[in-house]
Amino acid sequence: MSTLERLTARLGAALPPEAVITDPVRLRTYECDGLTYHRATPGVVVLPETAEQVAAVVRLCAEFGVPFVARGSGTGLSGGALPRTDGVLIVTSRMRRILEIDIAGRRAVVEPGVTNLAITEAVRDQGYYYAPDPSSQQICSIGGNVAENSGGAHCLKYGFTVNHVLALQVVTPDGEIVELSEQDAGYDLLGAFIGSEGTLGIATAITVRLSRAPEAVTTLLAAFTDIESGGQAVSAVIAAGVLPAAIEMMDALAIEAAEAAVHCGYPPGAGAVLVVELDGPRAEVERQFTAVERICRDTGAFEVRVAASAEERAAIWKGRKSAFAAVGRISPAYIVQDGVVPRTALPEVLAGIDRLQDEYGIRVANVFHAGDGNLHPLVLFDDSVPGEGERAEAASGRILDLCIEHGGSITGEHGVGVDKARYMPRMFTPDDLDTMQLVRCAFDPEGLSNPGKVFPTPRLCGEVPGVRKGVHPLVEAGLAEQF
Amino acid sequence: MDPELIKDCVHCGFCLPTCPTYVLWGEEMDSPRGRIHLMGQHVTGTPLTGEMAGHFDACLGCMACVTACPSGVRYDRLIEETRAVVEREHERTPEERAIRAMVFALFPYRRRLRMMRLPMALSRRLQPFLDRVNPSLGAMAELAPPPARPVRLPPLVRARRRRRARVGLLTGCVQGEFFPQVNAATARVLALEGCDVVIPPGQGCCGALSVHSGRPAEARRFARRTIAAFERAGVDAVVVNAAGCGSSMKEYADLLADDPAWRERAEAMRTLDLAEFLVELGPLADRHPLPISVAYHDACHLAHAQGVRSQPRALLGGIPELELREIAESAVCCGSAGTYNLFQPEPARELGDRKAERVLATGADLLVSANPGCTMQIAAAVRRAGKGEIRVAHTVEVLDASLRGLGPGTLGGAARRARGNS
Amino acid sequence: MDGARDPRSDETTEQAGKALAASGVAVRAAGADDVVAGVPPRWVALPETAEEIAAVLRVSEEHDLAVVPVGGGTKLHWGAPPSRCDVLLDTCCLNEVVEHEAGDLVVRAQAGLTVEALAEALAAKGQELALDVPVPGTTIGGLVATAIAGPRRFRYGTVRDLLIGITVVLADGTIAHAGGKVVKNVAGYDLGKLFTGSYGTLGVVADATFRLHPLPPSRTWAAASFARPVRSGPGGDASEEASAPEAVRLAGELHAALAAAAGSQAEPVAVELDWPDVTGPATVAVLVEGAASAERADAVRALLGPEARTVGERPGWWGRLPSAPPPSRDGARAETDAGRDEEPPAGRGETLLELRASPSRVAGALAAVHVTALETGTPAAVRGSAPAGVVHVALRADAGRTARFADALRARVEAADGRLVVLSAPPEAADGLDRWGRVGALALMRRVKERFDPGGRMSPGRFVGGI
Repeated sequence: MSTLERLTARLGAALPPEAVITDPVRLRTYECDGLTYHRATPGVVVLPETAEQVAAVVRLCAEFGVPFVARGSGTGLSGGALPRTDGVLIVTSRMRRILEIDIAGRRAVVEPGVTNLAITEAVRDQGYYYAPDPSSQQICSIGGNVAENSGGAHCLKYGFTVNHVLALQVVTPDGEIVELSEQDAGYDLLGAFIGSEGTLGIATAITVRLSRAPEAVTTLLAAFTDIESGGQAVSAVIAAGVLPAAIEMMDALAIEAAEAAVHCGYPPGAGAVLVVELDGPRAEVERQFTAVERICRDTGAFEVRVAASAEERAAIWKGRKSAFAAVGRISPAYIVQDGVVPRTALPEVLAGIDRLQDEYGIRVANVFHAGDGNLHPLVLFDDSVPGEGERAEAASGRILDLCIEHGGSITGEHGVGVDKARYMPRMFTPDDLDTMQLVRCAFDPEGLSNPGKVFPTPRLCGEVPGVRKGVHPLVEAGLAEQF
Repeated sequence: MDPELIKDCVHCGFCLPTCPTYVLWGEEMDSPRGRIHLMGQHVTGTPLTGEMAGHFDACLGCMACVTACPSGVRYDRLIEETRAVVEREHERTPEERAIRAMVFALFPYRRRLRMMRLPMALSRRLQPFLDRVNPSLGAMAELAPPPARPVRLPPLVRARRRRRARVGLLTGCVQGEFFPQVNAATARVLALEGCDVVIPPGQGCCGALSVHSGRPAEARRFARRTIAAFERAGVDAVVVNAAGCGSSMKEYADLLADDPAWRERAEAMRTLDLAEFLVELGPLADRHPLPISVAYHDACHLAHAQGVRSQPRALLGGIPELELREIAESAVCCGSAGTYNLFQPEPARELGDRKAERVLATGADLLVSANPGCTMQIAAAVRRAGKGEIRVAHTVEVLDASLRGLGPGTLGGAARRARGNS
Repeated sequence: MDGARDPRSDETTEQAGKALAASGVAVRAAGADDVVAGVPPRWVALPETAEEIAAVLRVSEEHDLAVVPVGGGTKLHWGAPPSRCDVLLDTCCLNEVVEHEAGDLVVRAQAGLTVEALAEALAAKGQELALDVPVPGTTIGGLVATAIAGPRRFRYGTVRDLLIGITVVLADGTIAHAGGKVVKNVAGYDLGKLFTGSYGTLGVVADATFRLHPLPPSRTWAAASFARPVRSGPGGDASEEASAPEAVRLAGELHAALAAAAGSQAEPVAVELDWPDVTGPATVAVLVEGAASAERADAVRALLGPEARTVGERPGWWGRLPSAPPPSRDGARAETDAGRDEEPPAGRGETLLELRASPSRVAGALAAVHVTALETGTPAAVRGSAPAGVVHVALRADAGRTARFADALRARVEAADGRLVVLSAPPEAADGLDRWGRVGALALMRRVKERFDPGGRMSPGRFVGGI
């Protein structure tokens, strides 16, 4: 009997029978998250309904020395929830109760499986909303948002998950239930935990900040003949001291995909579209809108549309928000990257991506959060053509190099996961990574919580810095097949 | 299970929150993404296991995922193909087989349904007993609407004003038997809006039930007969007032793809949902005020399978003094889903309860939907919740009342009368 | 320097001194002005680069020296006294703006730069770091170490929310970076958050990178006074009763004004309460910035009550920590003005508390301050962002009263799930005080400290749980 089998036999005492999945056919449906490139069938899947059940499972993992991975809705784009074949996958999709709504305190307490959008839907009638809005907000879970420190189009003005989470109930890798609160004195473990991609434990209750709905929202769609003039418009808007809620850009190829998928009706012939959303007090929005519209026309927009109703606003956003998945309509396969560059470096980096397209003979569709320099190049390829996947992968790596060269980051919101762990040493020194490992070792000395993610070369916590195991995480995981 | 169609899924998960079974159970393999993954496993060599078949059977076929999918995955076609594979390869329990045989021997045939009406009214009282014997039988009894007075429609209803179109009317099996007043209202509204309405007496079942249950041969037989009936009628368009029938008829060409002659004939037939047709035609008849609040329920086969969401709302919204209210989670199925509530009574009941709760929360006077199955399902759930009989009507009945200047009290009365009778 | 403080032999000390001198970093003997919360260090090191910080820390590790980093020294009396202190690591020579790319709205600054100098450099480009640091002379390092913030925390949050990159030097001399110079970045753990508010116990901050905002084109305040900020008798909601069983509650009109301003769609960036003596009147002032600020401030004014007004200038008390009212119980009321003049500089000699509560329970917490002041006979001042759930309380009293005040207030506040932290207290009052109150994850914090500073040499004893 393997260790995992012995552990599984004990799960029955911790969980109701229908919460444990061992059937191989069912297990395989959990083999990947939103990034299908990496797959591994979990050893066992559990679907707990309470924090106590999560803690009980984690305690068993600690007892048997078995790794565990947490998963929410499985929409992550960095393989952060890639299971371990020798481990337990803890799925929070049944923990989806909204535990408390406190409008006067501008906060809500929710379970990790609650979707991002469900929070806003629960408080919208009272004039509030939950600000971070990843494109997958109708399905991505808050637990996943906490793990990845998710952003979204509107984080330009309002910040990320970490700026909107006030407290967490966390199951630590030794199975203890601990409260991390912004109110407490001491180290900001709340801030350190958010964005740690499941490597420090599992959040089982999340206290989020609710934001007052803005008095006015204006959404504007500007069409340009080329992406350079769109980029100039972005710089000019920022230089004018305007902080829009969002500035998003899509290039011709991304527009083509979105058009095919959701018929968003963007102006025909556009080489780039810019979606600018202004929100806030009506008087402020009106003034800013006049300024932004003028800037767009001055920088060469051939059409500027303003959403006159909630439906028109939704239509403009639909094209943008469905862009990733929509690329499935124009390409059999694709890799989404998530690099970030300083905004002023955008033109250079986009030109660099253009050159890479020619060099590698592949197409790249660009969708990005222009306001904060977060690129989402979609590297398109046909996986049935031998060698094309490898070329796309190589081009993706080069795009990340470009971002790092320009002082940027390899990931703005998707997380490092298993996918970009190998790029971490390009962005950080060994000392930087060792220092981050200190945090990991404080929380998870046995390295059982989502091992193989974020860090390229995991080291045992007792080891002396400088002595590394030269094993690639995928090899170390031993189990993740690459497709 | 076309591997190319399976490959279209990029695993983004956008379908999950609209999937009724995912909403209920929160399990990957009971979501569209998970089911497509299971199809992929089967296509690449994993034999069809009982577990797999169970997850496919649990799919309501509501097609909410098709609407939600940004990658354009044809889940509708995938699940239809999959159901056929399940029927072929999966050995069901004798009990399951018996229930299925009974449903397929009964529902597509109007005369047999008519003969069933009395026993069903009787069986309402026997429901607790039937529930114990078999939940499917219990569900059937619980859902049965009260017997309706038969309405005989003439083969042709002439336009009441300058003729703008000549249309065929599909009367449907369940619609025709349990809700004949809906067909009468449809004919009246069409006539008042300037249409000659042809009601071919030879029409039978459109085949929707069979196509959604993995019985393609039977479905093709019904399709060919329906096409022939409306060809003989010589109409500009076939207008359908039952969502499930309309969605299948729009896909006749796909169903008959292997037979070029029939495919062509299917393509030549223009099928439209009634609301779709009326909005396209444009209103001419006077709308009289109808002071009533209405909760409009999106039937899956209308909203998701046919993309008809705005038109019924536009028709209702065009009636003076009528107040239209939205139901929360409108994209999630009520659990009726054709034969689903007969074969999968437990999840169907849970979904019905969930939907009823949200319908009641609107506080509207009247529940309006364009599908008889939904109406029966939600009414049964409201009854179970101890809230008595909810007033229900088809979109066209509301429009009919407005065109004829009837009061709001005339709507949704059938159910109340029935309670008085029973 | 008395030898009793340091049990180590003179020889050891001499060797350490030599090693420090040999490190190439400017080091001088400590003087009377270098005392850290009553504990005198032996040396003061003045590194000019991150590498020099690392050199000092490597020598400190070799010779087991305890190190306390200091910037402007304005909050060196905050936190508990260090359990030992050999080297005061003064960052005053790291005082440059390393990089400011205006188009990116990002600045990287060295730890020893004062916030005033930084503000001046940024204003030249029409930008600002949107933290109203309430203690003048604070350096970037001190700002990060104490995480102190001012009125606009209501809109922009605190240091942790605007810090996007950091360079730190660990106890063993390792130089590590985290984050970067882009606003949006989730690569790796956010060490910046961990170091924010860590009181120098994990290492030394060498430089920090912040997200900036454009300087607003205009600012307008709306303000209203409340002659009777509290009421006695029933009528408060349940949350208030928990913290103020004496049935004292915040006056309805004040409570309503705070809530309305905080929930206003005119989007104020700050909502501050100033209550210079919790037995007297209070003022609420609201800041509106940016386009159409006057128009929007007028909308907020309407929410504050009939007596409210708008002004184009900041109130005199805006963005400063409160000062304790004079001890008036013993008929000292008349001395008020004279007493203020004789205040020791920078609030020394008084006790400064930070009160944190959920915005829905902050009214109860404010009433609790009033009740506690009356009960202990200790006048107190309150100022801060009530709707953000953080206010400061200042008092000046003898050791016994100070401890009674803090204990009683903490009991009330924690009963309503809030927190009370003693930021600073005079040495004579400090002994009997629990500075930090309830901390949910102390065991994890200790483990973090052990990993970062296994020798326990970085600002030892200054932080929660004796870390």
